[in-house]
Amino acid sequence: MNLYRSKADIESVPGTPILSLKNIKITFGDLTAVNDVSFDIHEREVVGLIGENGAGKSTLLKILAGVYKPNSGTIELAGKSVKFRNPLDSLEAGIGIVHQEQSLFTNLSIAENLEFVGEGKNKSSKIFRFFNWRKARLSAERALEQVGSKLDPRIRVGDLPFIDRQMVEIAKAMKVSTVKVQNPVIILDEPTSLLEVHETDALEREIAKIKEIGSVIFVSHRLDEVMRVCDRIVVLRDGQLVAVKKTSEVTARDLFQLMMGHEKKSEVRSYERRHQGETPKVELRGAGKKGKFSDINLRLVAGEITAIVGTNGSGREEVCKAIYGVDSFDSGSMLVDGKEVRHWSVRTAITQGFGFVPAERKVEGIIGGLSAANNISLIFSDDIKRGLFISPKKNLASAKEWFEEIDIRPRVPSKELEKFSGGNQQKVVLAKWLKSKELSVLILDHPLRGLDPGAAETVNSLIRQAAANETAVLLLGDTMEEVLDIADQIIVMKDGQATGEFDLHVDRPTTLDLLEKMV
Amino acid sequence: MGKIKKETESSSRDLRKIWKIFGPAAIYLILFVVVVLRNSNFLTGGGLGISTQVSAAILMVALSQSLVLNIGSIDLSNASLSLFGAIVLAKFLPHTGVMTPLLILVLTTLCGAVNGALVAYTKAPSFALTLGTLGIFQTAALVISKATTVYVDNNDAFLGQLNNITLFSIPLIFYIGALLAIALWAFMRYTTAGRDMTAIGLNETGAIFAGLRIKRIKILAFSLAGFMSGFAGITIISQSGSASPNGLGSDLLLPGIAAAIVGGTSILGGVTNPINVVFGSLIISMIPITSTALGVNAEAQSLIYGIAIITVAAFTLSNAKKSIVK
Repeated sequence: MNLYRSKADIESVPGTPILSLKNIKITFGDLTAVNDVSFDIHEREVVGLIGENGAGKSTLLKILAGVYKPNSGTIELAGKSVKFRNPLDSLEAGIGIVHQEQSLFTNLSIAENLEFVGEGKNKSSKIFRFFNWRKARLSAERALEQVGSKLDPRIRVGDLPFIDRQMVEIAKAMKVSTVKVQNPVIILDEPTSLLEVHETDALEREIAKIKEIGSVIFVSHRLDEVMRVCDRIVVLRDGQLVAVKKTSEVTARDLFQLMMGHEKKSEVRSYERRHQGETPKVELRGAGKKGKFSDINLRLVAGEITAIVGTNGSGREEVCKAIYGVDSFDSGSMLVDGKEVRHWSVRTAITQGFGFVPAERKVEGIIGGLSAANNISLIFSDDIKRGLFISPKKNLASAKEWFEEIDIRPRVPSKELEKFSGGNQQKVVLAKWLKSKELSVLILDHPLRGLDPGAAETVNSLIRQAAANETAVLLLGDTMEEVLDIADQIIVMKDGQATGEFDLHVDRPTTLDLLEKMV
Repeated sequence: MGKIKKETESSSRDLRKIWKIFGPAAIYLILFVVVVLRNSNFLTGGGLGISTQVSAAILMVALSQSLVLNIGSIDLSNASLSLFGAIVLAKFLPHTGVMTPLLILVLTTLCGAVNGALVAYTKAPSFALTLGTLGIFQTAALVISKATTVYVDNNDAFLGQLNNITLFSIPLIFYIGALLAIALWAFMRYTTAGRDMTAIGLNETGAIFAGLRIKRIKILAFSLAGFMSGFAGITIISQSGSASPNGLGSDLLLPGIAAAIVGGTSILGGVTNPINVVFGSLIISMIPITSTALGVNAEAQSLIYGIAIITVAAFTLSNAKKSIVK
């Protein structure tokens, strides 16, 4: 376990780094969030920063962004020690951050976001105190060009697809940090966790573009991606530096092991069909919804995992929501246990044993202000009642069992759920459904979004378990690999139509086979 | 991140938690002591009686409001519903006797249910809808009273008892209010319906995805609010023996909201503690008494009232961990 703890495994690069961290340490009360971390970033270099949730990545980034001040250690820029008193200091020193949660104003245009608000405030786009729209537009165009984007700066940010917003965000970070500095460092904090597979290609090209003028710190949970874009990779675990590796000299498996401190469990999947000729739990016959999708045929069978792959806008999320009853179909029919349903709603779906894990965890999946225990018992609460009334004691006890069973941390079920990390929140969402003894259909919309590999492993094994317990699972995955790894049946959707269907008991499609039908 | 923050702020968070629970009671106590220091007669001469008597009607309306605020809505019509209830009560009490208050509670509960149904089914903002029903209840009150004061000229004695019977100089009606507050607190904590209300107030989208019966729960919350408004109407009659569109109780809306907020209810929904709303109402009724005791002249009373509410709200509601406050 502590193999790498005592002495980090560091491969360095010759030359003067443009940014270097020396023995950075920061504590919060009793907790040491980052302990004695040192690494360098060189000119025109992409450095990956990986680690589990809670490994100290975000804290480290916040130190670089001037949000936190380290208790000890120094930051050096081009060999000179610097102290950031606030985020502006760090920006002016040429460190631009693209945050995990986007910080753009969606109701304003691209030009306004780049020129008029926040960190990008630019005097040249103003005449006295008034905005000069023409100048702002031109200047915004230049900024976009720099990152290789040809977007019209007059478009409202809210109207852009996610990937383009990410581009604007990067342009904004670049713009500010290149005003005063020759060699900017752009930090991308999990830029791909919300992107669809084909969109990440665009982002990778973007990174290559930034590399022409500066350096990049790339934070991501997707190891394959880190391997593709980074020159070197910094691994953190429990606030400590575990290793700094040249990408050419490690495998994704090594990285996983370094991050987690243990080896990845390799699950040999079986392609054996366990169910045949049964009435499907759910069947769609030519189901459609105007403007979203049409003529979808689908069979969800107990004990099987069906995945739908497709890009953003393929309509697959809408299909899931309609099956769950948050949305509706306006053509075709849906059959549950062989019977056509008429008045369908979330409530009826739940009484029929349906469960849904939404993609927008914070907004749709959890009630952040309620305790974790209350979130677990939100839907099925008979077991925590004494007569007509909730017993807070039973509620906590029942939650505690789930905390133990699927390792939700910290073990404080009375704490508000919003204070838990994403992975633990997702486990609570799953517990809420797994609690039902009659879970017959489980729909999962991007269940691994934003989770570190450890939490993702747990969630995946819970999904497999549910299927093994005769639940019909419908899955929208984040990556092709994830889906190929777990599904029994894959349906490909494009522009609201089903363009392909693979039965993994018979076919062995590759990622490419799937992509071909997606775009 | 949550873990880290908790460590740094654990001590200040504990303090904040304690303040959240006992803050309103402490503020009331401070105001009370200030008055006693200026005028010791207040302690011996039934100051507690005065303050609880003045706050009784505010308490009922504030409890009504806090139920609605908790689901993320607001009810601007609750005070005018109370007055409407009071006028109907005054009109019928002489004829129908002891049963009348119960009928009034049924009436106002139904009116509340209508508010709730409007909010649940039209999905328009409760602010606008209840502004509408406020006008309707007001008109109904005017029509029934023929725009004059309605005196209870028969059967008035037994409702008067609610105000006249006292224990430790606190009137019975205030005890009833406090008991209702405790009942509501238990309802919030020990029933799924109460918890669902809080869930809706915290995150309505999440509640929809969890399959909670949103419409039913909203109508229930507004109905309970109507029920509490009915109690406010009964309080008015028990205290004045009459009701008029411009008399006692015609200006309960804003004090009701203020008391709910000062009592720790979040205007954004999802946070309320009915027991602290009791102290919220006591504080609201105590502010004018305190400023008089401090010798503030009559013209400046509203100024002091305003400043006091701002101060108390800043202290009891300030939520440093939330960066966004509306």
